[in-house]
Amino acid sequence: MTSTHSIGGPSMDKIIARKRWFFVFSILITIPGLLFTLATPFSGGSIGLKFSIDYTGGTIWEFRPESPADPLVVQAAVASAGHEEATVTEAGTGFLIVRTKPLDLQAGQDQIDNAGAELQAIRAAVVAAIGPIAEEGSVSTVGPVISQDLTQQALLLVVLGSIGIVLWMTYRFRNLRFGMAALAALLHDVIVTVGFFAIAGTIAGIEIDALFVTAMLTIIGFSVHDTIVVFDRIRENLVRHAGAPFGDIVNHSIVQTLGRSFNTTATVLITLLTLLVFAGGSIRTFVLILFVGILSGTYSSIFFASPLLVWWEERAQARKAAAARTRTA
Amino acid sequence: MRKFTPYLILATALLALAIDLLPNLSLPASGTTSGTRPIETKLGLDLRGGLRVEYQVQPVDGVSATAADLATIRDIIERRVNSTGVSEPLVQTQGSDRIVVELPGVTNPDSIRALLGTTGRLDLVPLPREVYGFFNTATGQPTDGVKPVPGEGETLSDTTLKALFSGDQIESSAVQIDESGRRVVSFKLKSEGSELFATWTKANIGSYFAIVLDGAVKSAPYIQSAITGGEAQISGPGAAGFAVDEATNLVTILKFGSLPFPIAEIGVTDVKATLGASFLGQALFAGAVGILLVFLFMLLHYRVAGAVANVALIFYVIIVLAIFRLVPVTLTLAGIAGFVLSIGMAVDANILIFERTKEELRIGKGIAPAVEAGFSRAWNSILDSNVSSLITAFILFYFGSSTIKGFALVLIIGVLCSLFTAVTVTRLILRAVIARKRFSSPYLYGVAKGDLDALDRGAING
Repeated sequence: MTSTHSIGGPSMDKIIARKRWFFVFSILITIPGLLFTLATPFSGGSIGLKFSIDYTGGTIWEFRPESPADPLVVQAAVASAGHEEATVTEAGTGFLIVRTKPLDLQAGQDQIDNAGAELQAIRAAVVAAIGPIAEEGSVSTVGPVISQDLTQQALLLVVLGSIGIVLWMTYRFRNLRFGMAALAALLHDVIVTVGFFAIAGTIAGIEIDALFVTAMLTIIGFSVHDTIVVFDRIRENLVRHAGAPFGDIVNHSIVQTLGRSFNTTATVLITLLTLLVFAGGSIRTFVLILFVGILSGTYSSIFFASPLLVWWEERAQARKAAAARTRTA
Repeated sequence: MRKFTPYLILATALLALAIDLLPNLSLPASGTTSGTRPIETKLGLDLRGGLRVEYQVQPVDGVSATAADLATIRDIIERRVNSTGVSEPLVQTQGSDRIVVELPGVTNPDSIRALLGTTGRLDLVPLPREVYGFFNTATGQPTDGVKPVPGEGETLSDTTLKALFSGDQIESSAVQIDESGRRVVSFKLKSEGSELFATWTKANIGSYFAIVLDGAVKSAPYIQSAITGGEAQISGPGAAGFAVDEATNLVTILKFGSLPFPIAEIGVTDVKATLGASFLGQALFAGAVGILLVFLFMLLHYRVAGAVANVALIFYVIIVLAIFRLVPVTLTLAGIAGFVLSIGMAVDANILIFERTKEELRIGKGIAPAVEAGFSRAWNSILDSNVSSLITAFILFYFGSSTIKGFALVLIIGVLCSLFTAVTVTRLILRAVIARKRFSSPYLYGVAKGDLDALDRGAING
């Protein structure tokens, strides 16, 4: 990084020349995750993304028993209260998480006298099996209506976000290719991130919740952040080094912005890492999503969006040259 | 103008610091009893604990609730919430058929859910004079029955009592002042109720009748005269009639005792306060460590310039927190994560500027022109990239649900403030710093030693 910054210098100048290798690498990191993601609807939940109750509907109840209890014992107790579908997992710090189908949703009647009755029955069965409960953390119930809303909202948000970004890029760079390359890079990041969680869901059971779409949009914004910085420099260098080969200009621009790309990504990843290590609760997955996405965003702006721009430009030039040859012939 | 910028920035920072730290500040606000709103950091239910219930209004006989119905239902639920004495309740409509209730620090969620979710049944029940006595309108003296007339809040224990008609026959109700200047509550009946009421009142002048909501008596006036036109007035006890709030309450009950449409719970979240507090503690600690590490990173990497960026970052934190308190932004766990993330993005502008400055220094420019060029050349990238963040944040804010909106608002405020602190504030301080001789070595701005040596030999070209 500390070496020459002139066009065609000897080091760090092979990014564009080696663009095929980077395309292959991008394929390697997108395809497996994509396969896992696409398997989600066909595997009956065993392979692919694991959705939280925000999407599937259900109840999550967190509590800490006075003496440590085996999740399987608790699961049997909950099943004896009529909830065979329940799963029980450990949340760390002594808390247990019970997941069931939606409990106790009251539909408008003249008198509600059984609010919380189903959960109370489960609680009684658990206490009978493992002894008193020391502390209740939270109870969260999501009905099917909300989960349907969320799925629609997620798709709407990602599509609108992508369209907004492409329009902005095309407007600022007066060139659809820049917009489309940025779009390709952000799709790359979306696929990498979703794929990562499809694999993590399959292997480690990590669930994605309502915040997933928020994280995706933040990643989209950030991915474009990185791409814009590189593209801005390309635009500037196209004027400054007019006449130089497009690939060289792009490579030079990447090298010039490399310091910024690394340092910004480093600071953002530092803050995310501290959240990942020290913060608890629902945002751990959220932060992990951002972490993966932002890493991918930095990679794709340098090694995917820019080479793609060059590939596109060179193909267009080759076509033009071919057309010119046929005219002269 | 430029002369005043430093003072303007200093004043902004001091004002923001006052808002951050001084307790008991308040803003004028409409719609509150005191006419003011305290300035405070609002925490979401996930951080302070509490009950959140989302309702969907159900159609009746294929007829859906209108926007006006939704507002009415919201009002009724809000009154029910207020009757429980929960502090800082929040009842909002959402979309075309949703009502969201947020109650911080609730310890008895089940009973509150039972109260809020009932459709509610309002009955008008005649009390037979053989049992409850009557009021002699000629002498102006009451005659006691076997049982006392039930007071407000009592339940009617006698199961043989039948309602004459129920709340759905009440067309409207209002607080009025009658001809002798007393505050009264009037109500108007629909035709069926009007006929029933006329027949009964003609035969029962002086008898008591009870207004009963979900089994509990709300008021039990006596009949002064036959009510044939379907319009009646209830006079209060004292010489001036009802007190204002008594009258309003009674109108509310007559008008809103029962919801015009039933509602169904579609989502319930109940977070215990201790869990929320531990999340808050962890998130704040994580945020603090994250900021410190970023400080360290900037200092090591950009040296003097990094120190300047850190001062700007402190400005950023002070100002953003003040805006959170002013707006107010309800901070959730995701919101705090968004804020910490925005710190990373806020230094991005500085990194862009400093990297550009380093490049200019490497090609042999002096400190001052290099810094100025750094700012002007980085500006395009800073603007473009921040606008792209704003686009996604606005889409989240506009189309997202309430949790997502909170996160998006944090991001929007963060991006806008960072443009100010990372560019304006940094530039101002940096200009002052580079004017001093001892800060004139490119090394202090992050240029590597090797590059400096090369520069001396004139080996590097642009």
